[in-house]
Amino acid sequence: MDWWFWPLCLFIFTLVIGIIAPISGVGGGVLFVPLTTAFFPFHVDFIRGAGLIMALTSALSSAPQLTKKGLANIRIMAPVVIVSIVTSILGGIVGLWITAAFPEGKYYVTIMLGIVLFIIFVVMLTSKRVEFPEVKKVDSISQKLGIAGAWFEPSLNRVVEYRTTNMAIALPAFAAVGFIAGMFGLGAGWANVPVLNLVMGAPIKVATSTSMMIITVNDAAAAWVYLSRGAVLPIIVIPSVIGITIGARIGARLAVVARPRIVRYVVLAVMLMAAVLDILKGLKGLGYVQLPF
Amino acid sequence: MKEVKVDPMNTVFARTMEILTYIGLVLMFVPGIIYIVYGNGFVNTEDAIRYWNQSAADFWELTKGVKISGYSWFLNNLYYFDCLSIVGIVLLALAPLASIVVSIFKADAKYKVILVIVTIEFIIAIVRPLFMHVTGH
Repeated sequence: MDWWFWPLCLFIFTLVIGIIAPISGVGGGVLFVPLTTAFFPFHVDFIRGAGLIMALTSALSSAPQLTKKGLANIRIMAPVVIVSIVTSILGGIVGLWITAAFPEGKYYVTIMLGIVLFIIFVVMLTSKRVEFPEVKKVDSISQKLGIAGAWFEPSLNRVVEYRTTNMAIALPAFAAVGFIAGMFGLGAGWANVPVLNLVMGAPIKVATSTSMMIITVNDAAAAWVYLSRGAVLPIIVIPSVIGITIGARIGARLAVVARPRIVRYVVLAVMLMAAVLDILKGLKGLGYVQLPF
Repeated sequence: MKEVKVDPMNTVFARTMEILTYIGLVLMFVPGIIYIVYGNGFVNTEDAIRYWNQSAADFWELTKGVKISGYSWFLNNLYYFDCLSIVGIVLLALAPLASIVVSIFKADAKYKVILVIVTIEFIIAIVRPLFMHVTGH
């Protein structure tokens, strides 16, 4: 097989993920890592490294515009990342340590990835979104930090002002999300958005935008762990990032025209399948199950 | 569209991130594409493909006979396109730090403290591998 076969496959694969992600509302990074682990020959170290760079690049490309519009807010992001930077670095260290320290570490990580993906599947299936949550009482931390913001909402033709609350409850959640993102190279929008929206009371547009800002910081910090261990291979990263970047632009245009719910359900079904495959692949590697593939 | 007064701390953060992201993407893509199309890498493409199913630690042992821990593996080999492409990734990984540092100057007292803490954490993330291990080169 020619050397360019797998990079080309990776490009086409990420192009498709990039197109599907905005239409389905499921993050590209969440699809990339488990599906690539299930179907491509690369070691999970390099897949996580590439996943992290992909999520970082996507977030960096969108966060500045969202920040300029007043949708992403440092006032929310900064207190959160004080905690999540530490846990995302720890996640990266632990993830690479497991595969380096144990001969069968790759299989443990693959099983854990499958379990995490299953949790993500449940979160995505069940979590609701509140367009403009009502914050009745601002907590003391948010009050002292003066967390508030405003943006012009075209659908209402007015400036919407917002406040947030429950910072103390949200911080442990962001710590856990940071660890998972660092360990598995996943973007963490699937968890950041519900915490910002449903726990802290940020409007959904502010939640999705500020989540991007949080991802830039968490994933950049964790990326140094992967860079320092040589787990970032350009031959895997470059086709992936180019594919998902082009795909996301096509997908964003298609999403404006139509976002059929069936696509979301198909993608969620694929996620569930990838979760099962990753768990089976890990169990097979450990010798607990026999599989024909 | 009606104008909304965005916190200056957010504005400088966004501007800095935008500029560094553009530069980082160009630096990552151009040498990266040249490497994939024409080869001339620190790790040649045939070796990369042969061993990319190994863990990162084993991959470097098998392809270059080194233990990787730190950044010298690409910083010492910048005349290869794959390592040059990593410099673009490094710039992307530095973009949030630089944006936070710049926004400190526009922040109020409380956020100055928070952003300085975030900056210190970020710097520790970058230099930690240099102190924890000695590079294999």
